[in-house]
Amino acid sequence: MAVDEKDFQMFREGTQQLASMAPPSTMPDERRVEVAKTTMLAKLTADMAFELESCVHCGQCAEACHFYQATHDAKYTPIRKLDLLKRVYRREQAPLRWLHRLYTPDVTIDDLHEWQELVYDSCTECGRCFMVCPMGINIAAMVNVNRQAFANAELMPAELRALEMEQGSGYSLFGMGPEQVEGFLTHLRDSGVNVRMNESGVDYLLLTSVVEIMIFRDALLATIRVLEHLGLSWTIHCEGYEAANFGMLSGVEAVQKVAGDRVVRAVKASGAKTVLVPECGHAYPSLRWDQANLDARGQDFEVLTVSEFLGREVEAGRLKLRPIGKGKKVTFHDPCKLGRHSGVFHEPRVVLEALGVDFREVESSQELNWCCGGGAGVFLLNRASGLRQGAWTIKQQQLDATGADSVVLSCASCRLNFMNGARAAHWDKGIESLVELAAAQLAD
Amino acid sequence: MTLLEFARGPALQWSTIILVLGLILRIAGAWLLAHDKDYSRPRVDAAWRGGLRAVFSRFWPHQPFVRQTWFHILAGYVLHVGLFVVVFLYAPHIAFIRDLTGLNWPGLPANLVLFVGALTAASLVAFFVRRLVHPVMRTISTLDDYLSNLITLAPLVTGILAYAHFGGRYETLLAIHLLSVSLLFVWIPLSKLAHVITFIPSRFQLGAWLGRRGVKA
Repeated sequence: MAVDEKDFQMFREGTQQLASMAPPSTMPDERRVEVAKTTMLAKLTADMAFELESCVHCGQCAEACHFYQATHDAKYTPIRKLDLLKRVYRREQAPLRWLHRLYTPDVTIDDLHEWQELVYDSCTECGRCFMVCPMGINIAAMVNVNRQAFANAELMPAELRALEMEQGSGYSLFGMGPEQVEGFLTHLRDSGVNVRMNESGVDYLLLTSVVEIMIFRDALLATIRVLEHLGLSWTIHCEGYEAANFGMLSGVEAVQKVAGDRVVRAVKASGAKTVLVPECGHAYPSLRWDQANLDARGQDFEVLTVSEFLGREVEAGRLKLRPIGKGKKVTFHDPCKLGRHSGVFHEPRVVLEALGVDFREVESSQELNWCCGGGAGVFLLNRASGLRQGAWTIKQQQLDATGADSVVLSCASCRLNFMNGARAAHWDKGIESLVELAAAQLAD
Repeated sequence: MTLLEFARGPALQWSTIILVLGLILRIAGAWLLAHDKDYSRPRVDAAWRGGLRAVFSRFWPHQPFVRQTWFHILAGYVLHVGLFVVVFLYAPHIAFIRDLTGLNWPGLPANLVLFVGALTAASLVAFFVRRLVHPVMRTISTLDDYLSNLITLAPLVTGILAYAHFGGRYETLLAIHLLSVSLLFVWIPLSKLAHVITFIPSRFQLGAWLGRRGVKA
């Protein structure tokens, strides 16, 4: 269950090189402004309009935001991150646009440069702000609209640009493409792991991710062990194996669809009825909620994240786990994209209960949980390291208050950010994977 | 036509028409934008239940936020409940509405309404000051926020002055009070005060969006 420090270090160094790998953008500034505004207008829906019409500028969203709470800098107030979108809406689409134009300044290239930090570095789209907003404004969803506008204007951070371009053009990530992944899986099979590759007529299509392969291999092995233990028919398919979606994180919808379409093709090729998403926060909503809308048609397969799958199997009585015992004091971190954005709260707790550990819920838990500060690609942004660490300190305090010896996670991005944060803060508590814990306790 | 006749007649009539038509325009204008169909499989059917729940549940924050947002809870409740009491439970206002609509209901003692009106005005002053001094509120505030505050405050102040017969002839004070109400009616659809109605669809959509994902807003 231990993560190889060398692998983690190599990955960290790799992320630090990402920015230099992005090709420079040559889009003229005037064009950037035009493209950003056009994208915002195209993405604005009636729901968003109602929300923008309702804001009373109370600023309560700042109380829920880890980046504001960590810095107490008012520029990080969540609703302020929507200022450009608001201005474009008010000038171009609002019912009173004839009036708003008199006093609402148009968006400029300087605004776009200033807001880049606000919609990328200082927002993980965690959504805690929409849980406090008295008007119910979905700030996270509209920050994502901003990201799409910035991405189309080629104004996304270089790290995300490098990754979305790599994933969009050749399906590789961090230099690891289908050939390397197939080679890795073959190596696993040769070393005795029952890896099922490119099979058809199966029930489950198992996805993995480059982070899992590079660092969290034990999580992948644990998932395979559970599937085999349950005697399920499953496969990893080289047509579409990657769960991570840097199109989604960067705001490039075309790449998000390309990456999602590959999974859909793998579903068809394998005949799977269920896609099993590994411990990866953003991958789940991308496939569970977004993909059907990008396809503009319903999905004929189910999407489960691994913690959800485990919980269902335990509840159904098919998966029996040997209790670890109350001597192990753990808490659980609900990844924002799995919890607050997707409703996966109950299942991981079912697994922890089956493990018989001394489970300690954090204060402000589940849909109100604090984000770790690294989601939505923020973990990869070099210049955001200070902001990220500040946000993680809030998380750390929340965890410490439980008195638990370790925190259990079901998201690789969170896990990376926890490891990074813990290392910087000399935090000595355990950071564990839910599926690894479960796989280690399979009952005969 | 005296100033009072103007305030009671055309000013109030036209401002009411602007209020109603303006709010319809605000709602319709937003409603006419794209309604994206959601093709994903809902975790929970009948998402509208989540929407309906959010319309009401957002009247009070989730427990972890109560301590941090105490000012908004306190001042917000004083403001909104106070406005309701002053507008709908003051006998002369009830009589005014009865003459227009035929509807009638009992009011509260005038002194009590006066006290509530003063508290309500104080909450608006508190919001105004907080906008000026709190870094977050100052940063995100616009002219609309300050004007909306003052224009809401005006009928309260002029009403109290008229009740106390303080500062001029009663007819003049009453006319000014009615004109300040007309100004508020015109301002509501032009400003953030349209949230008197837009808060309903705004809360509903978040509650429904989260509801179909199995999350309570």
